[in-house]
Amino acid sequence: MKSVDLTRSALSNTLRSKLRTALTVVAIVIGAFTLTLTSGLGAGINQTVDRVFGGFGVEDTIYVVPQMEAGAQEQDGPPEYDPEAGAEVDSGFRTGMLSATDVETIQELDHVAGVDTEVAAQLEYVQTTGGNQYQAQFEYALNDVLAEYAAGGAPDRSSMEATVPEDWLEIFGAADPEAVLGETLIVAAPNAVGQITEVEAEVVGVTQGTLAGVGFSPIPSVALAEEVAAVNADGYEGQLPESYIMAAAEIENLAENEDTVKAALAEEGLWGLTVEDQIAMFEAVIDAITWILSGFALIALLAASFGIVNTLLMSVQERTREIGLMKALGMSRAKVFTLFSMEAVLIGVMGSVAGIGLGLIAGFVTNGLLTADDGPLGGFAELSLFGLDPLAIGGIFLLILIIAFLAGTLPAARAAKKDPIEALRYE
Amino acid sequence: MSTPVLETENLVKVYGRGPAQFHALKGLTFGIHRGESVAIVGKSGSGKSTLMHLLALLDEPTSGVVALDGRPVSKLKPKVVSALRNETFGFVFQQFFLNPHQTVLENVTLPLKIAGVPRAERDRRGMGALEQLEMADKAKNRATDLSGGQKQRACIARALINNPDVVFADEPTGNLDSATSETVEDILLNLQREHGITLVVVTHDEDLAGKCQRRLIMQDGQIVDEHTGVLPAGAGRQRRAAPHGASRPRRRILPFGRGARR
Repeated sequence: MKSVDLTRSALSNTLRSKLRTALTVVAIVIGAFTLTLTSGLGAGINQTVDRVFGGFGVEDTIYVVPQMEAGAQEQDGPPEYDPEAGAEVDSGFRTGMLSATDVETIQELDHVAGVDTEVAAQLEYVQTTGGNQYQAQFEYALNDVLAEYAAGGAPDRSSMEATVPEDWLEIFGAADPEAVLGETLIVAAPNAVGQITEVEAEVVGVTQGTLAGVGFSPIPSVALAEEVAAVNADGYEGQLPESYIMAAAEIENLAENEDTVKAALAEEGLWGLTVEDQIAMFEAVIDAITWILSGFALIALLAASFGIVNTLLMSVQERTREIGLMKALGMSRAKVFTLFSMEAVLIGVMGSVAGIGLGLIAGFVTNGLLTADDGPLGGFAELSLFGLDPLAIGGIFLLILIIAFLAGTLPAARAAKKDPIEALRYE
Repeated sequence: MSTPVLETENLVKVYGRGPAQFHALKGLTFGIHRGESVAIVGKSGSGKSTLMHLLALLDEPTSGVVALDGRPVSKLKPKVVSALRNETFGFVFQQFFLNPHQTVLENVTLPLKIAGVPRAERDRRGMGALEQLEMADKAKNRATDLSGGQKQRACIARALINNPDVVFADEPTGNLDSATSETVEDILLNLQREHGITLVVVTHDEDLAGKCQRRLIMQDGQIVDEHTGVLPAGAGRQRRAAPHGASRPRRRILPFGRGARR
């Protein structure tokens, strides 16, 4: 039998008992639909991450924080006091603070061209010129490179500048992000005994919130953050130990020296991360979630595959005489096997095409509704929850065909094994 | 006579093992010549169906040899045997085995489809075979819409479509009334005479057996008697009163497929 005839026969056989085939296909559709949604979700978020961080690939910076102590999680009771460890304020990475010595160490490493430091700056309030006072916290000054700007750009690190988030426009009475640029933001910093010093900063940018959590609060320039920190430190008895949340080390030729610098940092008990490392960490989490969700979809597919086995076993039973006749008329075992496994694969094709199609439609429609400007997730810049990954879609299609084929092998082998004489006698 | 197209040597078929063993065939040696019509006659259980299955390469003998054109086939690979059956043999069954989901033409061209003949040629040859049996106008009908005689003619068309050397007919008239039986018998024997096809018929029907050139009478797994020469029509007709003739209760006609279960 020619393959075109085999395919045509298999197709007409699957369409013979339409309801039974349809019900089997539905089970596959559910699995394919779920897999399409979960992989599309992962693809969409990862595409967003790539898009948001994509512009910073040329950064020659390694962000340095103290290294997480091994076994810190299992530790009972508080850690031993270490005068060199810096103040007991936590950095964003929950690994403690860098001390002045740490910063010096970083500066002395090979290939390090310069070091910017992030100080903890505490605010009492912020105020517009002649306007109300608002509660606020600064973003890390060094995160300026991670922000998305609706207008303007990052503050100049050495000037008294800052950016404001997009939803702050109204306190300036502005409707358009461009209109805020050049306005003055008055930053009130408390000292050790609660006296307020006001520092003026020029608004040079308007930020949109990103998935990395950057841009939801004002970003100061490094100079502004240091000024505020200096006010904060004022009034202490004696010397407040210098401490930094993190340091940004500028590296000569990052691509070449990345590993060397990281290894040197690790030796000093410090942890270096590039922007790409941070993206990778983020994407690893997304991927893990995607795989877990896809695992559930795979369970659904596994259940559906037993539906195929069942349907085809019934079909083989019903068509015993037909199989007997075909074998008597000279159809080989291999061709009978192919005919029935082709029927299984066809059920897989119907199920996966319908399931993937429905999944894509559902994914894109839901994404459109959720991330529209007035949608529940409209506030995130450039967020997309669902993306088309042709490789993943192709993979899902292929996976379902393989599962369907494997499910078809048992009934197909049964059909192929039938003895023509016995089969023709079957009533 | 010409070289035998089918030969057997000491053909033995045993079913089961140990004390439950049943010797269906007890060492048969005979030959069937090209272009001959042979009837294998006997009561049920005499081994005539088993013999036909062995001759048609549908089953393997326990011992002994079946040779096709002088070539032993018993030890060939299943795939080769399948191809041989497809190319060399035609089958006519008592129960027709027409697929109720397909048209008459599709049913008739099944052996060509299995052989891998392209569709256009299949349909052309199928129509030719149907015309030969005056069934061309039924080509597009469903197989279930046919009468018993038409069904058997469709079966004969299917058996002839691959220009076989040998046509095996297993009780071809067993499901037909006597008038239709006679037509079908005449069609089969005409084809044998005019096209030189070797016809092997397994039958209870002594009228049909009488029209064949040779009759092998079987009993208990052995050929107990052999008659040569066509019997005059009247001789067959007189014997028709025998219990195996038309007065025998008709079997229900069961095509395979879903319809069969109703």
